[in-house]
Amino acid sequence: MNHEKDKELDDFFRNRLQDPVDPVFRENDWGSLEQMLEKTKKPKGIVYWLPYISGAAALLLLFLGWWSFRPKSALQSQTPIAVLPHKPAGPGAPLASNQQPATRNQSASHLAEQGQIAKTAVARNTSNGNSKPSSAGVRDRLPDFAVKNVLHSYPDKQLVAIKQIKKGSNEPAVADREFAMLSIASPKPDFENELASQPVISSHYLPNRQDANLPSQMKPANKTKISSRSAFRPQYALTVLAAPDLNGVGSFQQSKVGTNVGLQFSAGLSKKFSIATGVIYSAKPYLTNFDSYHTLYKFPVTPVNVTADCRMLDIPLNVGYQVYNKHQNRISIGTGLSSYLMLHENYTFNYAASTHSYGYGYTSPTNYTVPHSKSYLMGVFNLNATYERPISSKIDIAVEPYLKLPLTNIGYSQVRLQSTGIAVGLKWNLNSLAKP
Amino acid sequence: MGEEELHQLIRGCIKQDRKCQKMLYKAFYGFSMSICLRYASDRDQAAEVMNQGFFKVFTHIESYDPGRPFKAWLGKIMMNVSIDHYRSNLKMAYTEDLDEAVHISDGNLVDKNLNYNDLLAMVQRLPHAYRTVFNLFAIEGYSHDEIASMLNINAGTSKSNLHKARQKLKQMIFKADSSVNNANYNNGMDYTPIVAIKAVAANGVFLNKGIRE
Repeated sequence: MNHEKDKELDDFFRNRLQDPVDPVFRENDWGSLEQMLEKTKKPKGIVYWLPYISGAAALLLLFLGWWSFRPKSALQSQTPIAVLPHKPAGPGAPLASNQQPATRNQSASHLAEQGQIAKTAVARNTSNGNSKPSSAGVRDRLPDFAVKNVLHSYPDKQLVAIKQIKKGSNEPAVADREFAMLSIASPKPDFENELASQPVISSHYLPNRQDANLPSQMKPANKTKISSRSAFRPQYALTVLAAPDLNGVGSFQQSKVGTNVGLQFSAGLSKKFSIATGVIYSAKPYLTNFDSYHTLYKFPVTPVNVTADCRMLDIPLNVGYQVYNKHQNRISIGTGLSSYLMLHENYTFNYAASTHSYGYGYTSPTNYTVPHSKSYLMGVFNLNATYERPISSKIDIAVEPYLKLPLTNIGYSQVRLQSTGIAVGLKWNLNSLAKP
Repeated sequence: MGEEELHQLIRGCIKQDRKCQKMLYKAFYGFSMSICLRYASDRDQAAEVMNQGFFKVFTHIESYDPGRPFKAWLGKIMMNVSIDHYRSNLKMAYTEDLDEAVHISDGNLVDKNLNYNDLLAMVQRLPHAYRTVFNLFAIEGYSHDEIASMLNINAGTSKSNLHKARQKLKQMIFKADSSVNNANYNNGMDYTPIVAIKAVAANGVFLNKGIRE
């Protein structure tokens, strides 16, 4: 009985409730649902794309760096000096050959080369006769201060000759070349003193470098960089890293592969920001055309190109900013400066087969090892992007593509050596160690 | 809405097209709301639960099998979100001691002058626990065992709650019957020409795979 009544009640409700009066649509209801949909959609999209966006940005960064340093010769040809007619350096040392009556002309042409003056201009003018007038013109525009730099690197005889010229008010021409050479260069020390006290670096026909005598800021950049740092994290971390990289002068077109191994220490400044420093031992071989190689030594025979082997310590100081941190994946971007402490510099000069022995009985040097390598403080600009992922509670694995761009000329040969590579490292989170 | 039109809308929803989503929402608003209203205590709560249901529909629309009736799928989702809502509010659910059993005057219930809104209001006034079990048993047609597992209670509780729900409803019907003028049960509901929607045959499986989380 009861059961039937219950059933009747249930049916009564079921039947009537299944014929509902359609509730009127309320726009508000849709509005709140739309909000829910928007909320979940946007973050999802961003989160999904962020790693790709960051990756693309890092690649773009690397590419831009590479690209902007690529058209080196084009840039040079735009300078006034590029128009200078002069003889290619090929034919002999200034004093050795009688072809050039005025030392300054010769030195002008030499400098022009060193300054990476457009090869095209150089190639065009093989006669010395023309060089005087134009060099004079150029002269006016160029500062005197560079003269001394040029001077010191000359071999004795040249030095004397140049000195005389200088006193006779011809200095500007020399200055011009030097200026071209050290286009980015820096303050120059007192000219006279410099001259007087200059030791001559290479009195034999080794390639001369200005470096030895020049104040350190003026020194050309020898080579290199390598550094990599790993990422940032809360608090302190130690990273062991290794990185293959590509090194090239002016571009990566003739790049050689170098090796870097180092140790890096990073400290988190906030959730997002961190700083990192360390020591990275770098072996940076590179190959450069001879016109990118800056020396005041006059080669009896112009080498085709120069192969360099540089070893150095790279001490980076970088700041990093974390742009992504989800699902144990972290991506940060970083920038900073590196100092290079040169440990070893060696240059090998490569000649075209037919030109090695020159008619005057001189043989161009084939090899030069820089006796006292220098340090280049904060001379390299670092850009990097770091991806990190924990592999255990204390250790992360980090992958870091990086780009190192020269701010100054580095090394004995004053090259603008840039590097790009990918560092791979293990990062040891010191905090998590301390806690337990 | 024709089948073809419906499937077009669904395809649009799969692409997360906001316009298609809104059209689908509007088209099934009444149907979904009528389900949620039975489980909720008022219209606003029903709307909230229904939106959660539609949210699941739109975020899992690709798991809908076009070979099966959309309405059944949608109805199941609405029922499931209603149950989820009940379970997430279990702390607040309370049961009432019944007043003395009221004797319902003899007579056929069908003769009572009670319409959809009256009955809906009665169901909505039930305590949440009773209401949920009553909906599942009396209207959806689930067995106590099924209800027990759906609600994470035991079958005895389900039976007990159903019994109490019935008692409550009888009381309400009795009261309504005894008053000359029916109370105004309009809880924000508007009376509009009815487009009857056939009940979904929701027998069998009660868990919709991939929808409930």
